Amino acid sequence: MAITGASTGVTPDRTRALRSTASGGGKKRRRLSQPPGLPWILPALILSVGLLYYCIGYTGVISTWNWDGVSPNPQSVGLNNYIQVFQDPVFWDAIEHTVIFFVVTFVIQTFLGLLFATLLHSKIRLAVVYKVIIFVPVVLAPAIMAPVFRQLFAPDGQFNWVLAHVGLGFLQQPWIGQTSTSLAVVMSITIWEFTGVTFILYFAAMGQIDQSVLEAARIDGASNWRTLTSIIWPGVRGTTVALGVLSAIGALKTFDVPWLVTSQGGPVYSTEFLGTYIYRITIPLDRVGYGAAISIILLVVAVIMAIIIQRRGREREGSVD
Amino acid sequence: MFEVRTRWGKVLLQVVVTLLVIPYLFPLVVMVQGSLAGEGWGNYVAVFNVPGFGQFFLNSAIIAIGVIVIVYVVAMLASFGFAKLNIRSREVYFWMLLACLTLPEVVLLAPLFATDTSLGLYDTYWAVILPLAALQVPFAVLLTRNFIEGIPNELFEAARVDGANSVRGFWYLVIPLTRPIAAAIVIFTLIGAWNDYLMPLVFLQQQSLQTITLIPQFFIGQFADDQTKVLASAVLTAIPEVVAYLLLQRLFERGLSAGAIK
Repeated sequence: MAITGASTGVTPDRTRALRSTASGGGKKRRRLSQPPGLPWILPALILSVGLLYYCIGYTGVISTWNWDGVSPNPQSVGLNNYIQVFQDPVFWDAIEHTVIFFVVTFVIQTFLGLLFATLLHSKIRLAVVYKVIIFVPVVLAPAIMAPVFRQLFAPDGQFNWVLAHVGLGFLQQPWIGQTSTSLAVVMSITIWEFTGVTFILYFAAMGQIDQSVLEAARIDGASNWRTLTSIIWPGVRGTTVALGVLSAIGALKTFDVPWLVTSQGGPVYSTEFLGTYIYRITIPLDRVGYGAAISIILLVVAVIMAIIIQRRGREREGSVD
Repeated sequence: MFEVRTRWGKVLLQVVVTLLVIPYLFPLVVMVQGSLAGEGWGNYVAVFNVPGFGQFFLNSAIIAIGVIVIVYVVAMLASFGFAKLNIRSREVYFWMLLACLTLPEVVLLAPLFATDTSLGLYDTYWAVILPLAALQVPFAVLLTRNFIEGIPNELFEAARVDGANSVRGFWYLVIPLTRPIAAAIVIFTLIGAWNDYLMPLVFLQQQSLQTITLIPQFFIGQFADDQTKVLASAVLTAIPEVVAYLLLQRLFERGLSAGAIK
């Protein structure tokens, strides 16, 4: 996303330049050769911008109400909901979990994705089989896999069984049911589900690296480690930035896994995320106005995160070139 | 990427990869093994005999197809407009659309619920199809616009000189030439719509409309604590997804990496 996003920032100028040389450069001429496009983009604007911005606006309005979702005359409370959010310890817990979740899953996924992509670009037998195994979790719905993971991490589950059989029996514990490990369970499931995407993106990006540069480096005596750090890693930076944005937004959107696996937000809110908290507040607890206020805050955070990562990624790219 | 010359090095590399993929295989093994515990294949028979089991799949298919059709049509039209036609302040519209990429579904629940109930859409397929499509369109436009910008302008100009208007240009140039990216969009949208949990959970109350992602809960209700049958239902739900992936493996991978390769 980030790469394509960045490139769309550039391409209009490039295509404009091309277009003007192709059509002789005249402004009049260019307009003549380009029929109006607004009707073409209208359906997308109505559906996405219309529906989604309408919802955001509506959420903004609801966020100033004290409302249970059904009562016909909600009571307006101004910015009270927002003040309450910032004093809400569970909200800050959710923020903290989101940050930890983002950093841990992003770092581990980047590492694993890069490792698998590098290994499977080396001459490995049965590479297709490995690829399929890493990628299958991506296509399986998290909601479908939830009961499997509940079973896997249960006190008498297979994870503890494996620990016992590899001589790590002293590590056995109720992984889901205790606050100290439930967040780790959520993160490991997410990594299991998402490594395939990271891997495929890196795999594709590595295919774009100029082979002759790699060969030249090898002829000059560069070790595997050296080519990895000096050629491959910088060569896939665009992908890393894109994955950074994806993981950050993904962390803010997290809902299915903590809701379904660690019993709806975890013991004592230990796996509460913004998504699960908003859901809990809005649907089972009927505090729709309060949920809307958290939603608006979540949106602001998401947009700011995306802009920051995008900017920093581009800056770094600029400094290398 | 790694160059290994010695025989032992090659064996070592192979062993490392094999050890690394075991954790990825493990949950799948647990799932299948668990589903065969107790009554063995009897678990599967029991799941199949639950009335309405097939309906979940049908509902998921209807919703996925609806979302795919809407996203494809809308995104193609918009991408052509953005890439090749004259739009005043087009980048403003484009960024308005892109901003939707950051939108978490959960934010939409309250306003959609209120609007759906007043329009009578609550508890119909549309209550799930429309928001899912709206959320998928921006990414599809992002990919397709880039792709269409890569098609030389001369092609469109030549068509125009020959008297083709933009509708014909769209039909005879854009639709056939965008097939590779269209495949990517279909796959993307399919995964997104088929695997979605939150929208069906909130907006589909009748069991006869519910999707496959709600199956585990349904079976937990049906079979109380019989985990083996819940796992059998998970296996049956996962099989179509795995088969679809294996058949269209290239397409899936190209689809997901389409964002990274220009």
